[in-house]
Amino acid sequence: MAGTETTARPAAGESPAAGMRWLKLAGRQVASVAVTLLGLLALTFFMGRMLPIDPVIAIIGEQAEKETYDMVFAQLGLDQPLYVQFWRFIRDMMTGQFGDALFTGNKVADDLRRVFPATIELATVSIIIGVGLGVPFGMLAAVYRGSLLDHVARFIGLLGYSSPNFWLGLMGLILFYATLGWVSGPGRLDVMFIDMVEPVTGMLLIDSLLAGEPEVFWDAFSHIVLPASILGYSSMAYISRMTRSFMLEQLSQEYITAARVKGMSRWRVVWRHAFRNILVQLVTVIALAYAFLLEGAVLTETVFAWPGFGRYLTSGLLAGDMNAVLACVLIIGIIFVGLNLLSDLLYRTLDPRTR
Amino acid sequence: MPTTVRAAFAATLLSAGLLSGAAAIAPQAQATTPRDALVMAWNLDALITFDPAQIAEVNGNDIIRNVCEPLVNYDLTDVSKILPNTAASWSVSDDGLIITLKLRPDLQFPSGKKATAYDAEWSMHRVIHLGFGNSANFTQWGFSRDNAAETIKATDDTTLVVTLAKPYPIGLILSAMFASGSTGIMDKEEGLKNARVTDGKSDFGNAFFKTAPICVGAYRVTRWNTNEVVILERNENYWGEKAKLRRVIIRHVPESGAQRLLLEKGDIDVARLLNTDDLRALAKNPAIHVETTVMHGYAYLAFNGGDPILGKPLVREAFRYLIDYEGLGKTILEYQGNPRASLVPEGAFGALDIKEGQPFKLDLAKARALITEAGFPDGFTKKYIVSANNIAPIVAQHIQANAAKIGIKLELEQMADANLFTRARSRDFEVLQIGWGAGYPDADSMISRHAVNPDNRPEARLAQYPSWRSSWQDEKVNEMAEDARMERDPAKRIAMYHEIQRYMMKNGPMAYIYQTVRPIAVRKEVKGFAMTPFNVVYRTAGK
Repeated sequence: MAGTETTARPAAGESPAAGMRWLKLAGRQVASVAVTLLGLLALTFFMGRMLPIDPVIAIIGEQAEKETYDMVFAQLGLDQPLYVQFWRFIRDMMTGQFGDALFTGNKVADDLRRVFPATIELATVSIIIGVGLGVPFGMLAAVYRGSLLDHVARFIGLLGYSSPNFWLGLMGLILFYATLGWVSGPGRLDVMFIDMVEPVTGMLLIDSLLAGEPEVFWDAFSHIVLPASILGYSSMAYISRMTRSFMLEQLSQEYITAARVKGMSRWRVVWRHAFRNILVQLVTVIALAYAFLLEGAVLTETVFAWPGFGRYLTSGLLAGDMNAVLACVLIIGIIFVGLNLLSDLLYRTLDPRTR
Repeated sequence: MPTTVRAAFAATLLSAGLLSGAAAIAPQAQATTPRDALVMAWNLDALITFDPAQIAEVNGNDIIRNVCEPLVNYDLTDVSKILPNTAASWSVSDDGLIITLKLRPDLQFPSGKKATAYDAEWSMHRVIHLGFGNSANFTQWGFSRDNAAETIKATDDTTLVVTLAKPYPIGLILSAMFASGSTGIMDKEEGLKNARVTDGKSDFGNAFFKTAPICVGAYRVTRWNTNEVVILERNENYWGEKAKLRRVIIRHVPESGAQRLLLEKGDIDVARLLNTDDLRALAKNPAIHVETTVMHGYAYLAFNGGDPILGKPLVREAFRYLIDYEGLGKTILEYQGNPRASLVPEGAFGALDIKEGQPFKLDLAKARALITEAGFPDGFTKKYIVSANNIAPIVAQHIQANAAKIGIKLELEQMADANLFTRARSRDFEVLQIGWGAGYPDADSMISRHAVNPDNRPEARLAQYPSWRSSWQDEKVNEMAEDARMERDPAKRIAMYHEIQRYMMKNGPMAYIYQTVRPIAVRKEVKGFAMTPFNVVYRTAGK
């Protein structure tokens, strides 16, 4: 680990030159991320403004007259040149408010505080299901390649990968909610539990535990389990296929045969040698799957009346509401950049060669 | 079995257990809604405010009429009749210019504070001063920011004196202005106290009332979580018969299939957003009944009058023979609409009767003859824009198919509603299929916007007039409409509106396809849920 430390950050008592080098490196990294995000925002903004959608209509309604239109048009600053509008958005962004969302009438920041935790909660439960099922499935399929188990895993994976979530969601609701009554229906909570716990994180599973309300926790759990399973199922399909192919590649290597010849048991080889070697690639795959879940899943959110990020972004886009859209795009950008950095870090921890 | 395999299997089972585990451990109460609450599912996407001065969409309007009641109200059985509400009576001066409204003396806000004519006066002034779309409820009758203080005046706690610019028929003014959502009585004191002033301009409490308007009505808004839920609580100080149910909970459920399942399961009492397939299935369910209301709204085709081909009345007339009104009515329009070709909706004051209001039928030979007479025997090609939502694209394909049979090639382009509205408002279309809702149940509502066009110049930008959007103007119609608007003899006024409708069916820039229908599916345990095209009354609903 010593090597990592000298390149990554100055340890106590190191020369000022090393510190400067690190600062430069970090500065360059931050600048490149900032430029990427700014470029992303500019591209989205100018493309969005080219859409033939008039954001004023979301506020005043379709039948309003010219005077109302002109008043709101000016209030929104749409009479200003595009670069001024863009600058205003950047300025609002710096204050952390992102301006007003036209199609909800709230501050974008307030909206995001509401919709993003809902999506993080759903995405996190989904990825736990996706990883918990996908990795073991993929490993088993690789180890027992060509067996019935492999075929079953492939079939289940293919089904998860190719069925539209919208359809799966409705079918899931019909079966597990309407017919069997195992889970709760659309929404995040039953009406009688709404506003029973104070939002701290905005994630109901956590907030209900913090507030010591087990009933609310179970209600939230029975609401999240179905949409999370459906989203988790598609992640699982992807993760298990990737795990399988990574494992197959490793298992065909000579060092595996060598280890087996030396008398190591099959599963010891799989676990100790092959699996460790695929960990790095797997982490990237999982991080990507998680990032896609965090973007929000508009169709699943629609079917399950889940007030999440995906639907928020889509509604904003359809109303031509650039404040909301840009804030969402920025968050997605940060998620991808952040997860990239995180998996880079994990690489360094997991792969001794990068140290 | 080695431990690693066991671990792998354990992880698998654990994850799988999440789903089925929910069944075993999560306590599942039998789905029923609370006894003292009405639970309704709807799509609350468009809701951006509860300030009655600003609300410009259907859902907010539906809710606010239960929270901020207008001075007078439509008769639940016949909306062309007006009944007293917070105003107990009214009288008109002999010259027809001064209307004196007597408010009930027992009006209270939910807090128990007395509500007076001074609150009513301020509430109407603020709608005019704020200048959102709803200000048209006043400005179209000559009220303005400059004259509001003199023309809408409280003279004591229960008397409101309104001076008109012209002696409009009282029936029209009651229906169009006093029964509109813009005459709800709001708390002046709270509004003034909480008004925000920017650059010397007051917002009249617009931001303050956004989430919780303080109004005279059967319910009050106590909670609004954007895109999640709206909760109304009964106003215990309501002047009339108090609401039967203590709470109304409106849940945001944007998908029809999900609403249907919730309703069937009993997790909601009322479903407000259902597609035809789900409605058909629910209608067969003995625990549920589907109620339909014929709305004062339309789906129609608009033609760009500035187009060299579509500008010809004969061509537009031909399109009316390309719509299979009867066939549509029997198929696609089930639970969605009633075929109608006249621009005044059935049920409105001055509307043609059902038969005369829809004289057209699919007649390809006639349509071909009309375009031949217009000089286009081989047909032509036009772009046709339409919403991608609901049944709109299916209706469009139907018209496209019929048009193709006589050589008219229509190139369909589907788009999001906001996009379609933008195109319509900027005259950027050849053939447009779109919707429109009348503001009040009087022929004047549609005619004053769809037939009248005060200024056809592009720079006039009168996008609130679909006639302007279609670049269509007819001085004769402008005059006829103005005359009818001023006619104080109801029988004569009706006759004048009939004439305008007949004229427009022949010459107008639109082809009306159907009058919209609002289907609502309600569980049978809910009784007394009353509705008209302009109100859905939550107060009378009980279990």
